[in-house]
Amino acid sequence: MVEDTPLDPAASAALIAEQRAKVEAAVEVDGRILFVAWGVAWLLGFGLLWAVDVDPPLVDIPRGMGLTVFFALLVAAMAVTAVHLARKARGVRGTSALQGAMYGWSWFLAFAGVGALGYALHRDGASEQVSGMVMMTVSTLVVGSLYMADGAIWGERAQFTLGAWILVATIIAVVAGAPNMLLVMSLAGGGGMLAAAGVEATRRGRPRVL
Amino acid sequence: MGEEALDPVIHTQARLRIMTTLTALPDGDRLTFTRLQSLLDASAGNLSTHLRRLEDAGYVQVVKTHQGRIPSTQVGATRTGRRAFKDYVAQLRALLTPPTDPTDAQEER
Repeated sequence: MVEDTPLDPAASAALIAEQRAKVEAAVEVDGRILFVAWGVAWLLGFGLLWAVDVDPPLVDIPRGMGLTVFFALLVAAMAVTAVHLARKARGVRGTSALQGAMYGWSWFLAFAGVGALGYALHRDGASEQVSGMVMMTVSTLVVGSLYMADGAIWGERAQFTLGAWILVATIIAVVAGAPNMLLVMSLAGGGGMLAAAGVEATRRGRPRVL
Repeated sequence: MGEEALDPVIHTQARLRIMTTLTALPDGDRLTFTRLQSLLDASAGNLSTHLRRLEDAGYVQVVKTHQGRIPSTQVGATRTGRRAFKDYVAQLRALLTPPTDPTDAQEER
């Protein structure tokens, strides 16, 4: 920080614009990164599961291997999200830190519940087809609902629309049934997230005024 | 209205950058001293001096807490500070807008 040289109004305005841009770049969550990470994970992950399950299979690998790749993709997207959010939130305290923590716990507990459901379905002898359908549907319902809530609370239309889109895709997918429900979630779900990344990129491209 | 009308507490390079940084965050948010320092590329001593001035004016609040056993200093803009910064930006905008026919003024918003 330079010690105080006198400022003229134009210099002040430039300084405000420059510093504001710097702070926003440093602390604002970049939706593009998160949407691309999850969009790619869904597109490839659900797409691969569909390609394995369809008759005749387009990808000839055991189902277990397909599931392993699917979960690896989700874990990778989760890691990208965690690292990104931690970097942005570093040193930020107060209201939004608390809100972020609460919202994070909603995700964590909801998916702990999804995990418990997977265990229970297996324990009680549900068929692979029924478990697969229930697990996919419950997971994408949680994602869609939390996106909608997030969008509603922060007044972010793109986020809200994406959540609604995922819920509609889930309804269509579950009615379609296996194995095409997986293709629906791959293209509509993953594709929807990538489209949201595009919307975010356009929004960021717009210039701001003082 | 001339340049002298600009709030002298804010109208210096260092404090303008501090206020811009803190008001860029939502109301109720604070930054740790370290993060603020890195966003400003400021030395700790220099930053402390300017923060004290802003605190005396009631524009920022400096909170000293402990995170576990590690002391942590957090800084946030107060309501008064946010209002002062908003007024400052409005005055700046007025100074930068060339005087026009008063009938055109309506379009400016």
